[in-house]
Amino acid sequence: MLPRLPGVVARVLSCLLRGLEGRLVEIQVDISSGPVGFALVGLASGSVREAKERVRSAIHNSGLPFPSQRKLTVNLAPAELRKDGSGLDLAIGVGISLAALGLPSPSSTAFLGELALDGAVRHVDGVLVAARGLIRHGVGALFVPEADAAEAALAGGLRVYPCPSLSTAMAHLTGDTLLDPYSGRAPAPAAADTNTEYDLAEVQGQDSARRALEVAASGGHNLLMYGPPGAGKTMLARTLPGLLPPLELQEALELAQIRSVLGDLTAGRPLDWVRPFRAPHHSVSLAGLIGGGSGLATPGEISRAHHGVLFLDELAEFRAATLQALRQPMEQGHIVITRRGGSVVYPARFQLVAATNPCPCGWEGDSQRSCRCTPASVEAYQRTLSGPLLDRIDLQVVVARTPMDVLGREAVGESSAAVRARVVAARQLQIDRQGTLNAGMRAPQLRRWAPLDATALSALRRWAGQRGLSARGFHRAWRVARTIAGLDTGGSVREHHVMEALGYRLVERAA
Amino acid sequence: MGARRPTPYGEAVAERLATDLAHAGVAVVSGLAVGVDAAAHEGALIGEGCTIAVLGTGVDVVYPAANTDLAARIVAGGGALVSQFPDGTGPKRDHFPRRNWTMAALADLVVVVEASEGSGALITAEAGLAQGQAVMAVPGSVFSPLSVGCHQLLRDGAGLVQNARDVLGELNGLTAVLDDPLTPPDRLAVEGEAPRGRDGLLRHLSDAYPVEPGDLARRLGLAFPDVVARLTRLELEGKARRMGAGYLRVRGRGMT
Repeated sequence: MLPRLPGVVARVLSCLLRGLEGRLVEIQVDISSGPVGFALVGLASGSVREAKERVRSAIHNSGLPFPSQRKLTVNLAPAELRKDGSGLDLAIGVGISLAALGLPSPSSTAFLGELALDGAVRHVDGVLVAARGLIRHGVGALFVPEADAAEAALAGGLRVYPCPSLSTAMAHLTGDTLLDPYSGRAPAPAAADTNTEYDLAEVQGQDSARRALEVAASGGHNLLMYGPPGAGKTMLARTLPGLLPPLELQEALELAQIRSVLGDLTAGRPLDWVRPFRAPHHSVSLAGLIGGGSGLATPGEISRAHHGVLFLDELAEFRAATLQALRQPMEQGHIVITRRGGSVVYPARFQLVAATNPCPCGWEGDSQRSCRCTPASVEAYQRTLSGPLLDRIDLQVVVARTPMDVLGREAVGESSAAVRARVVAARQLQIDRQGTLNAGMRAPQLRRWAPLDATALSALRRWAGQRGLSARGFHRAWRVARTIAGLDTGGSVREHHVMEALGYRLVERAA
Repeated sequence: MGARRPTPYGEAVAERLATDLAHAGVAVVSGLAVGVDAAAHEGALIGEGCTIAVLGTGVDVVYPAANTDLAARIVAGGGALVSQFPDGTGPKRDHFPRRNWTMAALADLVVVVEASEGSGALITAEAGLAQGQAVMAVPGSVFSPLSVGCHQLLRDGAGLVQNARDVLGELNGLTAVLDDPLTPPDRLAVEGEAPRGRDGLLRHLSDAYPVEPGDLARRLGLAFPDVVARLTRLELEGKARRMGAGYLRVRGRGMT
């Protein structure tokens, strides 16, 4: 039990989100003599001030006493934290009811949920994030809307009470009718949790793209596919999640937190093991892609693609500023967004797959259709592709159209499941050896874990000298060679691994 | 007919022409040699047409042995192996020009795909002319020695072949010309020999027709990653360069 402060009748805990951080909020209720009224203080925004009316009706309609003939003050502490949303409703309602009944406040217990006018407790977003934040603040029990109980339980180490209404919460606190804590089983991935909607077996031909996808999946590398319309670039990109192993528990929890903040979790099955695949259209806004919005920023597509695949089709059609904004998260695996309401950090460790036509009409370089663009427009188009973003893409392959007469007659290719088996083994090898996927290795790690013999190093240097390879490009080819060697023998990086890696680069060729 | 060691362009042309002609009901006659001959037979089989192999050996001896499987498929596909030589006759140098004469005699029209100066394909073309058949030729790259023979024929009045309709027009006595480009085969059916040595792959590249690494891998029985590594090595040495999804051979010196 909390110590009673002079004048304060009830103190109840709840939580507010700042991005993926849960901040403890204490609701202090004071009932005193003085001018009759209901004051809500503590930097409450409009949506929280409306809580006054919802809570008043909910208490009345739950048959609980409301101190309407007294001076009622509700303070939301800490006062400097801006309060938003309706998630504090339940805590305010419980606080007022406890104060009105003269009951002691429960210790290390928090309440989350929106109140309907009849006293029912309604769903709120971000319960998982809030639950994890509350645990860090020493909270041991949490009352949540029934629909959000499974989500809250993911946090682990917390007694979660699914709470249908204000009156059932009060009945539990008074000891009249106890609620049962949530007792779902701990989640674990099943074989069905791989995205197999798009299978490589359905892809005809496309040897380069198939190989590049396998290498990309194995080392966590970014991939660019370059080719005319109708070559199957989108279909190929969609096979990538199915080549990756299901999410690990920690990864699934991180992704669930992002979805929790967005209110995107599936009720009853909050933890999803399938790697996300996000394909925003090229007209996407900066805020939509990297996160944003007024007040506090909400996560964007790059965070929704956390631990999964972000597919940008028609790369050259994206606004330059939008693509520029991808550089920070691609290097750091997270994004910091500052808005009026403060700064938030969202994880964004995605694997980028990009696709582009070679020119505005799409047929430049095709063997059978002639391009109708002017040389100047082709050059302008390709210039938008070049530069820093392309330099951050490890694997770049040309995808040609599959001729019509091959479609439907070819024997099916190797299935995604067969490729995934090799990918999983290769990834395990990397984690065991260096603790990260190859795409995440920096130069010192490369020198340590991927030493090149004299022949391999001289070949790479010769190419770099000949083609004006940047230092970044040099290391990218090196990392890809490490992944290729891993898929080949698992042993050291040889000259032919470096040569193959250089076969999947387009940047220097165009120069 | 054409070169025994054609460029990928020559193989592609021979195979596609034979496929299109077979579709049109034309029987494709060739000599079951490696290179253009094999590509023509393969193309006719893809086009589900009748193809006749005229041998320079007895019909029970397949030469070269690499075409044993092809010979079996020709027969299985309703075609024929024919020879003017008794059973059991092995390959003899002076038999092949006589075989060429027979081949020309069996045909209504002779198409030469790639032929260097003074090659056996030119001898067959002359035999066809001597027997009163029409002779047509497919033009090639002016950089390639394998184009010289065909270009000589064209200068001397042979018909120009751009597509199967040119050949059908000549067969049926039509004069209308359609300048549609020939559609390259999606991938070549003829198998090549595995490359030997460092530059082994170079022989399988053309300076006119980009070859995709996946097709090379299948035809030569090599692993795809190995082919990409070999091609990049050639690229590094300035002997090959990229074009679209494929690779071209770079002639002479200089870099891309």
